[in-house]
Amino acid sequence: MAGLELLSDQGYRVDGRRAGELRKIQARMGVFAQADGSAYIEQGNTKALAVVYGPHEIRGSRARALPDRALVNCQYSSATFSTGERKRRPHGDRKSCEMGLQLRQTFEAAILTQLHPRSQIDIYVQVLQADGGTYAACVNAATLAVLDAGIPMRDFVCACSAGFVDGTALADLSHVEEAAGGPQLALALLPASGQIALLEMDARLHEDHLERVLEAAAQAARDVHTLLDRVVRQHRAELRGGHRLVLGAGFPAADPAHLHVGERHGLHHGGGAVCGRRPCPGFCPGLRRPPQEVGGSASGLA
Amino acid sequence: MLQKREKVLLLRTFQGRTLRIVREHYLRPCVPCHSPLCPQPAACSHDGKLLSSDVTHYVIPDWKVVQDYLEILEFPELKGIIFMQTACQAVQHQRGRRQYNKLRNLLKDARHDCILFANEFQQCCYLPRERGESMEKWQTRSIYNAAVWYYHHCQDRMPIVMVTEDEEAIQQYGSETEGVFVITFKNYLDNFWPDLKAAHELCDSILQSRRERENESQESHGKEYPEHLPLEVLEAGIKSGRYIQGILNVNKHRAQIEAFVRLQGASSKDSDLVSDILIHGMKARNRSIHGDVVVVELLPKNEWKGRTVALCENDCDDKASGESPSEPMPTGRVVGILQKNWRDYVVTFPSKEEVQSQGKNAQKILVTPWDYRIPKIRISTQQAETLQDFRVVVRIDSWESTSVYPNGHFVRVLGRIGDLEGEIATILVENSISVIPFSEAQMCEMPVNTPESPWKVSPEEEQKRKDLRKSHLVFSIDPKGCEDVDDTLSVRTLNNGNLELGVHIADVTHFVAPNSYIDIEARTRATTYYLADRRYDMLPSVLSADLCSLLGGVDRYAVSIMWELDKASYEIKKVWSNKTLADSLDNANDPHDPIVNRLLRSMATQAMSNALYFSTGSCAEEEFHHYGLALDKYTHFTSPIRRYSDIVVHRLLMAAISKDKKMEIKGNLFSNKDLEELCRHINNRNQAAQHSQKQSTELFQCMYFKDKDPATEERCISDGVIYSIRTNGVLLFIPRFGIKGAAYLKNKDGLVISCGPDSCSEWKPGSLQRFQNKITSTTTDGESVTFHLFDHVTVRISIQASRCHSDTIRLEIISNKPYKIPNTELIHQSSPLLKSELVKEVTKSVEEAQLAQEVKVNIIQEEYQEYRQTKGRSLYTLLEEIRDLALLDVSNNYGI
Repeated sequence: MAGLELLSDQGYRVDGRRAGELRKIQARMGVFAQADGSAYIEQGNTKALAVVYGPHEIRGSRARALPDRALVNCQYSSATFSTGERKRRPHGDRKSCEMGLQLRQTFEAAILTQLHPRSQIDIYVQVLQADGGTYAACVNAATLAVLDAGIPMRDFVCACSAGFVDGTALADLSHVEEAAGGPQLALALLPASGQIALLEMDARLHEDHLERVLEAAAQAARDVHTLLDRVVRQHRAELRGGHRLVLGAGFPAADPAHLHVGERHGLHHGGGAVCGRRPCPGFCPGLRRPPQEVGGSASGLA
Repeated sequence: MLQKREKVLLLRTFQGRTLRIVREHYLRPCVPCHSPLCPQPAACSHDGKLLSSDVTHYVIPDWKVVQDYLEILEFPELKGIIFMQTACQAVQHQRGRRQYNKLRNLLKDARHDCILFANEFQQCCYLPRERGESMEKWQTRSIYNAAVWYYHHCQDRMPIVMVTEDEEAIQQYGSETEGVFVITFKNYLDNFWPDLKAAHELCDSILQSRRERENESQESHGKEYPEHLPLEVLEAGIKSGRYIQGILNVNKHRAQIEAFVRLQGASSKDSDLVSDILIHGMKARNRSIHGDVVVVELLPKNEWKGRTVALCENDCDDKASGESPSEPMPTGRVVGILQKNWRDYVVTFPSKEEVQSQGKNAQKILVTPWDYRIPKIRISTQQAETLQDFRVVVRIDSWESTSVYPNGHFVRVLGRIGDLEGEIATILVENSISVIPFSEAQMCEMPVNTPESPWKVSPEEEQKRKDLRKSHLVFSIDPKGCEDVDDTLSVRTLNNGNLELGVHIADVTHFVAPNSYIDIEARTRATTYYLADRRYDMLPSVLSADLCSLLGGVDRYAVSIMWELDKASYEIKKVWSNKTLADSLDNANDPHDPIVNRLLRSMATQAMSNALYFSTGSCAEEEFHHYGLALDKYTHFTSPIRRYSDIVVHRLLMAAISKDKKMEIKGNLFSNKDLEELCRHINNRNQAAQHSQKQSTELFQCMYFKDKDPATEERCISDGVIYSIRTNGVLLFIPRFGIKGAAYLKNKDGLVISCGPDSCSEWKPGSLQRFQNKITSTTTDGESVTFHLFDHVTVRISIQASRCHSDTIRLEIISNKPYKIPNTELIHQSSPLLKSELVKEVTKSVEEAQLAQEVKVNIIQEEYQEYRQTKGRSLYTLLEEIRDLALLDVSNNYGI
């Protein structure tokens, strides 16, 4: 059989998108009542569920507690039925561990961990259906869940993948495109500042093309941000009846990057930002500081 | 805004399980329609070409029409063609990359009035496939639906004709929408293009070939070749006589079509087949490659085919099909391969333009082997571009039944195309000749003979051997200056009056112990290879040119055979002469023409098959005879330095002698089975030696003529003798250069040769008529010219350059009279000399080219001396090196 044509001469991809177009994104926040925060996202046929607990006291060994900031604990798993052929092990394999580590690096860079010293934030992500771009879907779901839990963040973390076929950068690769074996780049972006929380690529790509692929991924991540922002605002509108929601004082409400949503508990301390259940200072001091750790596996960047 | 749909595909995995795959499918409201009638050009955002506006209708071919009649749709006369995406995908998935690329190029071609409409991404055109609906039906339905949409999109201003091969579709949709007509392709051509004759003809021939293919493909299920039968079935079949075993031999000049299976082993006795079996076509050859041991099933007699006898060029694709083939001969097809004879192959990568036609992201590349008999090989490599100008060695890995070509991988680079050393290396690899220098372990076994420690006869050996140094006068019959003198003679009168004749052969076996490293190496090499300008020794030069060379004035070990001859009758002598053959040759001579005599002699010997070595244990005594020499028994042992077979004979002789003398027998003689194996190997190597010698000679001939302009250069025009007649040409021998080759009397355009009164030849329309020993060419004007066997003609020699293969010499008859120059006789006499001169001239020019390069380097060093530039790799030296390389290339081309 002739190899699949990933990008036709007319500029269409296999599934009918053009090079820069994202797959359809649908998301919901607050899908579980028990958890502090939860979200569900669909990016095309990739479906992911994220649940956040915390910040709470360190569970297990106390020695893990960090004196100056919160411990971010991420666990990734994918359902056995998530792929075409049934998987044996839902979690604990190398791929899941690596993904958990990457998520942790991403969110350590985004969450204002120094606000919650000696405490722990748990982020659990499960992929229900995998159709390419699982990392991006996980990050986006987790962002919504963290927002849902009311944990203060520097900014949304929006992730998207990008690939490179026939001299054109393709945004948001589907499984078919990933399986073709070309270079694939995963990018987690803090859209407001344009800072990169994580950048990963484990294929060879010529340096000359990197710029373009990176730009495609960044543009896609900004598009994802617009969509996630809309989801958050819609969610807030839905909550307006029963729960009180207060925007952090001193931050322009129009700037979604500084939006903290404290929905379930509706806690607010005089004029300060609303941050989940924990006592919170009036504003978040580290807000304009750059992320302390930028993605560990940023390969190819000078 | 995009709309998301889902497509569910059921795929079968390699393990045979069914896999359910869900793929997204996005639809959009606006897909470029590329029509000048578009009502909303802004929304459709056309980029690229538009359909022309001066057409009376648009034509939309159905998927089947695109698949089968693409060649007709390529006609520039057909305008306003809309290819639906559905149809294009059908081509891509079912017809393979080559045809799809043709379609893509057609769509890109600005001169061609056709466009692609991405109907499957348009939200109104897309139709999901219904449950239970066949792929074919769905494709037709989609295309029709898109055609209707397109018609309405253009505001019903342009009628649309959908052409399909599906009768049901015509029934169903024919009158559904006004303005959208559904008709068959044939009907379309008849109604709209009645004057386009070429298209009609092409259409008929496509229909014809499709019908044939359908018949053929009834048994093969999408596979390119039938599967090979399992080994047990083959063996049982051979035993029962149902199948026949033999070695596949591909016809070099018709590698695509003709191959023969030479019968082998017992099977030929059971069946009453005498000739070889013809394997016609690649399909019947079923993935076997030249030299494989294959198992063949005979086809029924009514499917037997004849071999073609017309001369034909290597690249022909059945152009000579008009020629009538000879008598039908046993024809078969390969059902299995018993032993694959894959070796290293020298190939050439396609040039840049060709690569592009193979697909831009193709990492699999089809390379062309140097040997015409080997099919193209598919290589996956990223380096195709860098390897373009080189001769490269590859190996075949596998050949699946689903693949047209075998898969292989790249091994190493030999050298540039056209470079003398590279071409020589090519010849060596192609003949599987390995010429790596002797290793240290091998050299350690060799005796030392240097000025410091000269080699001496050892006292023990002196005891054992008979000393002929004092008693006999031994002389050599090799020419003066010969390095490897391996046999000498002696003759003397004995006291009783009889003559004693002695033949003394270098005692190589004394130095080459059985199964030592050097013995094993010599066994693999089997013979010394003589190329046109060099030789590759079987034994290290310390033996071949020194210790085993019976040079004058030094002590050497030898094996001697003495005959005592009766002084009056010389009784033994008659064994060595070859009366019968010499007589028959002498009868067939032409007293007026020495060249014809020479030709006759060489043809007489060539007609006989080459003598082969065999082990006496494996044949009956009646089969021992040597035909060429007309002897009952024959072996030779006079050149152990350059023939391994002679070493074997020496060892056998020594063993026989020691047995007579009741001495202990060395236990390392070969068994019959080993010997048989060895004979096969030696025969094979001898053949390789002959081929390499021939090919290297041809290489030098080609290089000699390469830069000579055949139109002006005097040396390119020469006298030739016809020595064989074929249906469309003659074979010629050119005594001046010792070249043999074919000359056509009918060229590719079907024109025949005619010679005017001034005896200069021209091409004119006409016909050829072949008789047993002459061929007549008659033009339509009534002129005719006849060529007889052994006629002298004047020929022009030119070179037909070939990228992938060796260059070939091309002969062209320019006059039917012998070539006249004042000193013809002189040249005839010096002809053998000229051959070595030719080699010298070519070698010299290559060396000059190298020298030119070295001189350049020296100049740079001088400049360094003069200007004290910094040593090391400055940009200057780098650039200078690049300049050198360029210079080398040019001078190579010029010099050779």
